[in-house]
Amino acid sequence: MDVQSALALATPLGLGLAAFGAGIGLGLAVKGAMEAIGRQPEASGKILTNMIIGAALIEALAIYALIVFFIALGKMG
Amino acid sequence: MKGLPEIPNFITLLRHHMSNQAWAKVLYAWENIIFSILIALFLSLVFYFGTRKKEEVPTGLHNFLEWLVETFRMFVIGVLGPDGEKYVPFLGTLFIYILTMNLMGLIPLLKSPTSSLNVTIALAIVVFCYVQYLNVKNMGIKGFLYHLAGSPKDAVGWMIAPLMFPIEILTQVSRPVTLALRLFGNILGEKIMLGFFALMGITLFYFFPIQTPFMFLGLLTGVMQALVFTLLSTIYILLSVPHADEHH
Repeated sequence: MDVQSALALATPLGLGLAAFGAGIGLGLAVKGAMEAIGRQPEASGKILTNMIIGAALIEALAIYALIVFFIALGKMG
Repeated sequence: MKGLPEIPNFITLLRHHMSNQAWAKVLYAWENIIFSILIALFLSLVFYFGTRKKEEVPTGLHNFLEWLVETFRMFVIGVLGPDGEKYVPFLGTLFIYILTMNLMGLIPLLKSPTSSLNVTIALAIVVFCYVQYLNVKNMGIKGFLYHLAGSPKDAVGWMIAPLMFPIEILTQVSRPVTLALRLFGNILGEKIMLGFFALMGITLFYFFPIQTPFMFLGLLTGVMQALVFTLLSTIYILLSVPHADEHH
């Protein structure tokens, strides 16, 4: 297997793995936020704001994988 | 992105039909910039003519614009506290501009400029420079360096300071990178998905627009990403103010 086909196989797989982890993390974050809103509906604004910050930070990890994907895409040529 | 189906806008159409003209090529090369300038002009005109008549009880467009600004002001003040009043113009402009750019891709013959990395990186660099300026202004250069070293207070803190310093620098640098790539990735993904479904509708379903339900999804992503970009900028501004916790 040459380098290019190895990259072509590995980068989508890596992106998928990153999305898998980020999906679990986002699911947990949203679950916690929804439960908190259900328990305390009057605080929903603050909870949603904080949830979006947390979700954005979790998403950043998947975005790092996207950067690696783009770099590898340039190398695949 | 080459080789992917794309919903045409009027510039790609012009280039397609007049591919031997030099000006069509120039127009195509400046596509994203032309669209972002068009949006900026459009927003300026709407806000200028919408708020020209100063009425005690606003109606119509004026009413809507006041509602928009007032809602956003309350949102920013809710995050930043009463001191956040002075950041409302910057953050509000950012939000409305990005929102319009995101939603523009859903209108036929127009394109979202945010689906190009150049535009989102420019926006992120603006936020980065502003936040660094605020950092230095609020903490002073020495205070900022102290903050970057992890605000050490005892001997252990000073010992791990060399370790904290690169980590904090990396945090600061990764902020604009993630801001830009998050917006770009989401809007580009939405654009590619719409393109694929439009192509599928044309080839398999006799021009039936099966991408329509996904345009509503695009509506959601557009609003969400504009909100996330603005909210994260707000948080970065909040973090640049020292001792933000003492107000609570």
